Amino acid sequence: MNALLRYQTALLIGSHRALPPVILYAAWLAIGVQGGGPLLSTFGYAAGALVPVAAWLTRICVTNEPPAARSCVASAAGPGRAHLAAVLTAAGTALVLALPGVLLVTLLSDPRSNDHRVAVPVLPAAVAGLLTALTCLLMGIAIGALSSWPVLRSAAWGVPASLTAALLLLVLGASPVNAALSGMITGSARGTVHTPWLPLAATLLLAAAATAAACALTSRRS
Amino acid sequence: MRLDGVGRRYGVRGPWVLREVRLDVPAGALLRIEGANGSGKSTLLRLLAGIDRPSTGRITGRPRSAYVPERFPGALPFTAAGYLTHLARIRGLRGPEAGRRATEWLERFGAAGHARTPMAELSKGTSQKVAVAQALLAEPALLVLDEAWTGLDHGAREVLDRAVAERVADGGTVVFVDHDPRRLAGAADAHYRVDDGRLLPRDTHLPTADPGTATGPRVTIEAEGPPGSAPPAGTDQALAGAPPLPAVTRSAPGPDGTTLLTVPAAHSDAVLRALLTARPPWHIRAVTTAPGADGADGPADTGAHDTAEHPTAAPTPTPAPAPDEAPLP
Repeated sequence: MNALLRYQTALLIGSHRALPPVILYAAWLAIGVQGGGPLLSTFGYAAGALVPVAAWLTRICVTNEPPAARSCVASAAGPGRAHLAAVLTAAGTALVLALPGVLLVTLLSDPRSNDHRVAVPVLPAAVAGLLTALTCLLMGIAIGALSSWPVLRSAAWGVPASLTAALLLLVLGASPVNAALSGMITGSARGTVHTPWLPLAATLLLAAAATAAACALTSRRS
Repeated sequence: MRLDGVGRRYGVRGPWVLREVRLDVPAGALLRIEGANGSGKSTLLRLLAGIDRPSTGRITGRPRSAYVPERFPGALPFTAAGYLTHLARIRGLRGPEAGRRATEWLERFGAAGHARTPMAELSKGTSQKVAVAQALLAEPALLVLDEAWTGLDHGAREVLDRAVAERVADGGTVVFVDHDPRRLAGAADAHYRVDDGRLLPRDTHLPTADPGTATGPRVTIEAEGPPGSAPPAGTDQALAGAPPLPAVTRSAPGPDGTTLLTVPAAHSDAVLRALLTARPPWHIRAVTTAPGADGADGPADTGAHDTAEHPTAAPTPTPAPAPDEAPLP
């Protein structure tokens, strides 16, 4: 698996296809993260964008090889493992974006509630911010795995489907992403930290199931 | 490896591309699959290579495999050597060994000068050499070649022929599709034809068949064994202690206690290697072009390489080219 991850990472870096989502996320942080903003709601703002960004990175990673090259790797390592390596590379890249985002928000924001009256403990808030980012990242991976090859083979369906899914999961009350983000936003109003353990566990299961389904489908569709 | 009632269709309601395929793939065998365009050959090869899973039926005992596609577009952000090193690592080679194998196989195919060339700038033929090299560099137990010779130059085709013989001599299995009926002629252990999604056996050359009936250029090796050694024979019938040779080898007693081994030309290097590396090693008296099926005149006292590889030099009684070989209107 190490060799596969190395191959996929080199492929992603060499193809320069990761640049648009990386620049998008950097621009999102540049616009919304300002010195002195309330810490908890800024964590929520920074994490929310990771849903579409991680979905986009997943689509890039699983479609980065021409079909002939994919067949060669699939024969050598097994089609499921080859696909898993692509999804894990996307998750790793999204993590490389999420960690500096959390660090930047922690350093720049004001550790107080929205009205700047109630102080928020920085360390627990940073942990909650990190877990919210991970929840959004994993949901993005799940969306990306289910909206690109081999589940949805046409980009004409896959791209709108992933954007719609990302939007719905961010705003609908039943989704774990929405639960984690509203925990940060309501917590920011009152100055209390809600650590999203449950939403993170739920998205972890969802992402694992989505990735497993996609990997199992690779050898059945081509 | 065994295929049992294997069928494959694309999509839940799609038509069956392959149906009821029953096939035993023994180790150390060279299998040729034939069939018209669109008959399901490539689908069968993808199942054998483990890229696709059968829609029905089971494939059991599939060994470590490697696959060469017919076309290999090099739209990858690597150099040729870089790509091969990545693939060698994926195939389990560690450290500098991966890079060494990559260079070695590029050299064998005469593409060492392109080692540092980005894949996107390679010509079609050189891309195909990279595709073949990625499959060969880690000695796979099962090699699946989907018209892998297409696009290779004459020299590289012969290197691939010999590499195939080497894999078979090492006990590996090779399954190939090629539209040239002379490709590895006489060397294949079994021929199959895919017709309308079904796999049918086609005139098999079993090891017991008369060597005279096999087509393609052949080479006779006159070898002298150490005293008391067992006579060498094909892997399937070799006695204990005898050098294992490809199953297509015919052996006959020669003059002065030597053994005459007749093999398809592509196998000659592999047989010589097996004889020379046996413990204790065999002595090679002579390597000559075999008279008979390929119409070559009498023995010629030349080295193995000179006699081994001139498949077009002599008129060969080959079947007519497949219909799809004809130029398109």
